[in-house]
Amino acid sequence: MSRTAIAASGPSSEPVRILPSWLKISGRILASFTVTLLGLAALTFFIGRLLPLDPVVAVLGDNVTQEAYQAMYKQLGLDQPLYVQFGRYIWGVLHLDFGMALTTGKPVMADIARVFPATIELASVAIVIGTSLGIPLGVLSAMYRGSWLDQIVRVVGLIGYSAPNFWLGLMGLVLFYATLGWVGGPGRIDFTYEFDLEPVTGFLLIDSLLAGNWEMFGNAVSHIILPASILAFSSLAYISRMTRSFMMEQLSQEYVVTARVKGLSWARTVWGHAFRNIAVQVVTVVALSYAFLLEGAVLTETVFAWPGFGRYLTNALLAGDMNAVVGCTLLVGVIFVTLNLLCDLLYRVFDPRTR
Amino acid sequence: MTNRNDEIVIKRRLAGRELLSAAAVAALCAGAGVAVAATPKNALVMAWNVDAISTFDPAQVGEVVTNEILQNTCDTLADFDPADERKVVPSFASRWDVSPDRKEITFHLQKGAKFPSGNPVTAEDVAWSLHRVVKLNFGNAATLTEFGFTKDNVEQTIVAGPNDTLVFKLDKPYPTTLVLQSIAANRVSMVMDKKTLMANEQGGDLGNKYLATRTACVGPYKLTRWNAGESIVLEANDGYWGKAPALKRVLIRHVAEPGTQRLLLSQGDVDVARDLTPEDLKDLEGSKDVSIVKVLKPQLFFWTFNVADGPFSKEKVRLAMRYLIDYDGLGKTIMTYLGVPRASFAQLGAVGALDAKEGQPFKLDLDKAKQLLTEAGYPTGFEASLIFGTLPHSAPLAQSVQQNAAKIGVKLSLERMANAQLFSKVRGREFQSAMMAWQTGVPDAHGNASRLVYNPDNRAEAKQTQYPSWRASFQDKELNAKVDAALLEGDPIKRDALYAEIQKETMAKGPMAIMFQMNNVAGVRKDLKSWTWNGFRTYYELATK
Repeated sequence: MSRTAIAASGPSSEPVRILPSWLKISGRILASFTVTLLGLAALTFFIGRLLPLDPVVAVLGDNVTQEAYQAMYKQLGLDQPLYVQFGRYIWGVLHLDFGMALTTGKPVMADIARVFPATIELASVAIVIGTSLGIPLGVLSAMYRGSWLDQIVRVVGLIGYSAPNFWLGLMGLVLFYATLGWVGGPGRIDFTYEFDLEPVTGFLLIDSLLAGNWEMFGNAVSHIILPASILAFSSLAYISRMTRSFMMEQLSQEYVVTARVKGLSWARTVWGHAFRNIAVQVVTVVALSYAFLLEGAVLTETVFAWPGFGRYLTNALLAGDMNAVVGCTLLVGVIFVTLNLLCDLLYRVFDPRTR
Repeated sequence: MTNRNDEIVIKRRLAGRELLSAAAVAALCAGAGVAVAATPKNALVMAWNVDAISTFDPAQVGEVVTNEILQNTCDTLADFDPADERKVVPSFASRWDVSPDRKEITFHLQKGAKFPSGNPVTAEDVAWSLHRVVKLNFGNAATLTEFGFTKDNVEQTIVAGPNDTLVFKLDKPYPTTLVLQSIAANRVSMVMDKKTLMANEQGGDLGNKYLATRTACVGPYKLTRWNAGESIVLEANDGYWGKAPALKRVLIRHVAEPGTQRLLLSQGDVDVARDLTPEDLKDLEGSKDVSIVKVLKPQLFFWTFNVADGPFSKEKVRLAMRYLIDYDGLGKTIMTYLGVPRASFAQLGAVGALDAKEGQPFKLDLDKAKQLLTEAGYPTGFEASLIFGTLPHSAPLAQSVQQNAAKIGVKLSLERMANAQLFSKVRGREFQSAMMAWQTGVPDAHGNASRLVYNPDNRAEAKQTQYPSWRASFQDKELNAKVDAALLEGDPIKRDALYAEIQKETMAKGPMAIMFQMNNVAGVRKDLKSWTWNGFRTYYELATK
């Protein structure tokens, strides 16, 4: 008999449960998701309308007659009251229509579908590098606090934090591309290959593998490795410093001393016990780093001629292309909300108390 | 043939790339070679900031990048002579006849041409292409309406004649060369595929939405791929009626950062870099692999004043401001490579333009500026604002003027803003003074006289926003009359004299202190031969390797 049926059958000593808990949780998540995105859309939309940028000039240029200007003004629906414009926009969004991007002449959805895979690919490689180096380095720094290793990690972290990615990118290109010739240049792939590959997923690493073209795959790797490493550097700095801080707190706990007194090795104590206790916090840090990378690293994308999301959003913003800006903002919102949800799920995996 | 040094470099790069790539993907990449990043022999590869592209419709396009791509993919009736932009040479019209009263021009069109779609090119296509520009009424329609073609009359005044001819019926006896430069060699006469566009028409847009992402015209190249903010590919049009281009492909990669463009050029990964900074250009000047090429373009950078009220309403104040511009100093520093000092509205190279000396009589002279301010009633100076956009040279030029102005008591507050915001403010007359660029499409003094000097109606409600003179609230009826008279003057010597008079008068009291005429500058690999351009066109089809 279902819980609903029990609740409907009359007084009971059991707590009254109208809906199953998973349904309530899903409902809560959905409501929170909707309110967040709607708020984000409204905020971006209305701020966009207040900006002193003229979308008509963005479309037609400044050398346009007033008659043509007015015609386009009307065509873009700018003659309507703001609430009507917003209502129409939201109605379109509900139908997955974010409107046309003024700067590219294409639907915003199509533009995002084109630029976002480039950013996901770059951010994913970067976060893998940043996490796989940042966490061990953070843990080792905490284990050997004050040692030369800790000092090196501290300096590396400081550089990663403080050096602008723009500068690091250019220096990286000069050294590894122009001087040593170890990596591919700007862009996602050499021109030689770019036009021979039919996009399937939009991820060049995957598409080249699907095409069975190993040479192209190698070329794509040679292009992504430098920008991803530059981005990974700043993530690494953040992740390693935070991991060190979390781990130091754990290492000062009594259970660690007890474990050591009982003869457990350092490595086993740290990785087998202490690390499990900081996993939740580390997951949050990694998820945040990944979210920031997915937002698009505008300067890195600019230096490396990487046709990604960050650059698309920035160009749209500067050109007053509000359809594209609102569409991108909603996507950033979705990224953060989704990663938050994933974090919640992972908390449950790592910490039984939250189940 | 690749020489030995190149081979060594290539092998070193291959080895290095594999080393680093292998570290990341280990066994997956083992043995996988990374291709040589040299440009293909049959292709022209460029690095260029192509962010501005938003449509390929010649009726709508208003910026230089798309214009250049269209010029290489869509034939116009006539073309600018690569060696002398003032001369017009046949293109899709093989020749033309002019009636004795100069009011009718008959173009004889190429026969047997086909669009890439396979549709034959007819005189009807050519006439329709011009009609749609007027009917769509985007900014480019003014190119035709200025010569009397309107929505109501264009179907009767531009008509397809017998035997593959096209006839222009003009309302006034405009100088034929000017009509050819302004219309026949302009993007408004690009020959469009009517059948294809009408088959893809949406809501009476005459194919405008269809052309947002593609072309439908006949030319030496055809646009085969455009990924916004990423890359553009042009391929030689196999069935082209004219001479086939030497290089079969033109590959343009969007690279916004000039430093990155420089690296790509130095490494030989691109043949041409289009947005190098003066520092990069200076460094590359001595390169054995790269040449720096430049050509004057019909673009002026100016400081415009709103003359509606305040200090800038006084002619002497505007003249004083011209003496605050350090033409020589800036020309030798910030503007090296970027442009040349120019004070006249008629660009160097245009018919009727004053020469370099006469067209730039000003120099930094603080005493003279101070004296003019005193005569204008501002002996202790005044305060004003100066807005400018994101062009890289705008800020240093504005700062230079600000420093000089401060020395005579004029306090200029500078504000930098996005270009779209700058245009909105200037178009709305919401500014005191502004620095910005302006480009004409005609190698004739009339091109700028008709916009920077002439103002048909200065009333705010007239909203003549396409006229920079209106934006500056400037109207001088005598100058208007002189511009009208110069336009229709049949005697070239008298016409030149009239334009000389207008230029001198405008330099003294006009609403803009013209500062520089800009260059097109590029870094070109030396193994790319015959890079050909002038102020109005870049000829991809003439490039060879």
